[in-house]
Amino acid sequence: MNIETLIIAVAGVFAVASSIGVLLTKDNFYAALYMSVTMLFVAAIYAAFNLQPVVVIVALIFVGAVGIVTVAVAATYRARVSRQVSLFWTLPVIIVFGILAYAYYGLAVENLEITNQGVFSALPTDYFFVVVFLFSLVVVMMLSAVKLARGVDL
Amino acid sequence: MIDVGVSQLSVILTVSGAILLIAYLTAVSSKDLIRLLISLELMFAAVFLAILPLFSINPSMAYAVAIVTAFTSSGELLVLITAIIMLDRRKRGIEVEKVAVGGDSI
Repeated sequence: MNIETLIIAVAGVFAVASSIGVLLTKDNFYAALYMSVTMLFVAAIYAAFNLQPVVVIVALIFVGAVGIVTVAVAATYRARVSRQVSLFWTLPVIIVFGILAYAYYGLAVENLEITNQGVFSALPTDYFFVVVFLFSLVVVMMLSAVKLARGVDL
Repeated sequence: MIDVGVSQLSVILTVSGAILLIAYLTAVSSKDLIRLLISLELMFAAVFLAILPLFSINPSMAYAVAIVTAFTSSGELLVLITAIIMLDRRKRGIEVEKVAVGGDSI
């Protein structure tokens, strides 16, 4: 195992540990913080592969915008509610995870090679209509959500 | 140019699967909408990690998928926050048990 694989494995272990923290904590605020830490470690894995545009997307949008809003909402509704974890669900999850891990190790047969990393600069031209469509869709969703929220009687 | 080894690929996909399954377990065990929102964001984080091998096959498509995932996550966050506000105003709480209407009853 070389140093890059070790870095990725360590970041992955911390990401899984943070996601387990989301599952185990009873406070919504700490759960949102653990979620943000998980996303940061996902960004760290991308940084290990020198994919800076995706690191920026994950760090700015996922952690900077979505994560902070989630933390703010979780801090507002910081109710200590009891979880309804059932041991009935834990066993199938462990079995499925074991099958997936065995399949990943069994089916991975050759190395991958990342090429043509400068394509991100061509994204606004190649996928112009997709980006415009997504912006329009998000604006429509925002307007619909604001209308629904304002239309509810107190 | 970056080479992705077999062991690295296995670690990435295993971590992605583990995060996804933990997010599923969090979703089925959540009793309020906040925890449900957090579990959905964890699922998007797992998806973000799972598309990393696509960068070696078609980087342009992989970047597009990453951006679509970010937009989808943002829209889902907005809609779910609206649902939380509406449920809080109507039911004076955000617990899942307060939703009395639903399911597949005919």
